[in-house]
Amino acid sequence: MENLIEITFLIIGIYLFLGVLFTIILMWNGLEKLDPQTKGAGWFFKLLIFPGMTAFWVVFLRKWLKQKP
Amino acid sequence: MSANYTAILWNQQKKLYDRYMWLGIGLFMLVYAVFQLWLQPSITFETLIIRATALAAFVLLHLILAIGPLSRINPAFLPLLYNRRHAGVSMFILALIHGAFCIIQFHALSDTNPLISVFISNPKYLETSQFPFQTLGFLALMILFLMAATSHDFWLSNLSPAIWKVLHMGVYVAYALIVLHVATGAFQYENHPFNWILLFIGFWGISGLHVYAGFSERYKLNTHKNILAENGFYQVCRVNEIENTCAKTAFINGENIAIFKYDGKISAIHNVCKHQMGPLGEGRIVDGCITCPWHGYQYLPHNGQSPPPFTEKVKTYDVKILEGYVWVNPVPKEEGTFVEPVIIEKA
Repeated sequence: MENLIEITFLIIGIYLFLGVLFTIILMWNGLEKLDPQTKGAGWFFKLLIFPGMTAFWVVFLRKWLKQKP
Repeated sequence: MSANYTAILWNQQKKLYDRYMWLGIGLFMLVYAVFQLWLQPSITFETLIIRATALAAFVLLHLILAIGPLSRINPAFLPLLYNRRHAGVSMFILALIHGAFCIIQFHALSDTNPLISVFISNPKYLETSQFPFQTLGFLALMILFLMAATSHDFWLSNLSPAIWKVLHMGVYVAYALIVLHVATGAFQYENHPFNWILLFIGFWGISGLHVYAGFSERYKLNTHKNILAENGFYQVCRVNEIENTCAKTAFINGENIAIFKYDGKISAIHNVCKHQMGPLGEGRIVDGCITCPWHGYQYLPHNGQSPPPFTEKVKTYDVKILEGYVWVNPVPKEEGTFVEPVIIEKA
């Protein structure tokens, strides 16, 4: 039981760590291309969407990969 | 609406809403804290925070869940629905403070990772009376986190309205987990019948409201089953049955239609808002635009388009007036199609 929980938390931790890295990269360069409505949105907006993006980063990765030629 | 995003969409009403909401939360917690200090003068600050935030979040969650059905039953509650999202985020903040203080107070002092400790410190998963209730609260908090983190319109657009809606229906799962968290946790130690009565009233009150609102809505839709059809048009109601700047809704041949009366004219558009599927027909015409009662999304009545720079569009329908009755053709026009409004005086 303990091992199962530790492994689950480890997987979630790795997923979220990758999410943080991806989110930083996307916010640095690419977010405006993915969603033009984010153009000109300030740092507070980015801060607000940051936690959600670390959780749903795979959705944006898929969109990002589809967009690239 | 789909112009460029701003961090928080505040206007005069939303600011007022938030101000009163937080004033209410603050007062509620203050009264509770005074009451607790009077009953248990030796209570620690951490315990007081844990209990006050838990109770405030739980009560606020009940209010949030009640707003939806209440505003379907009686439009007087619609102003509460307008900014429900901010109420949800506020409730999450309270729940997060509760969770963080609990984890620090009860799980941070051992060598085990505090988050893992939540799940393994009490392994009695098969017992009812000593069930590890913390796990239920933790899972509920995770659902509330996902909801709060995706509450901005950015998420609605990027996850798609359908997925967003499903994700946010998770509030019912979170509510069930929290009810069990309370029943198997705090109420095992403070099992005064009064606590249990309150919990039952809350649970059955919320369930009952949802069932009642569902049935009354179904009844409203069914009332339009037997209307007369003529050349593709269906009779809906008398012109004077529609209040000025308001709508009458009709569900005909699978089409959910809102027929609005404004400036001496009649127009019909699809009754479902593009934003979160709110009931446009329960809204009003404000500044010449049909305004969704849920979050204020707007559409022009004659073409179903949001005013520039916004880009949302809904379907429109042909209407006519014959001998004082409004008739509508349920075959929809393409979203955003102009339909000449019917002038009431000339009809």
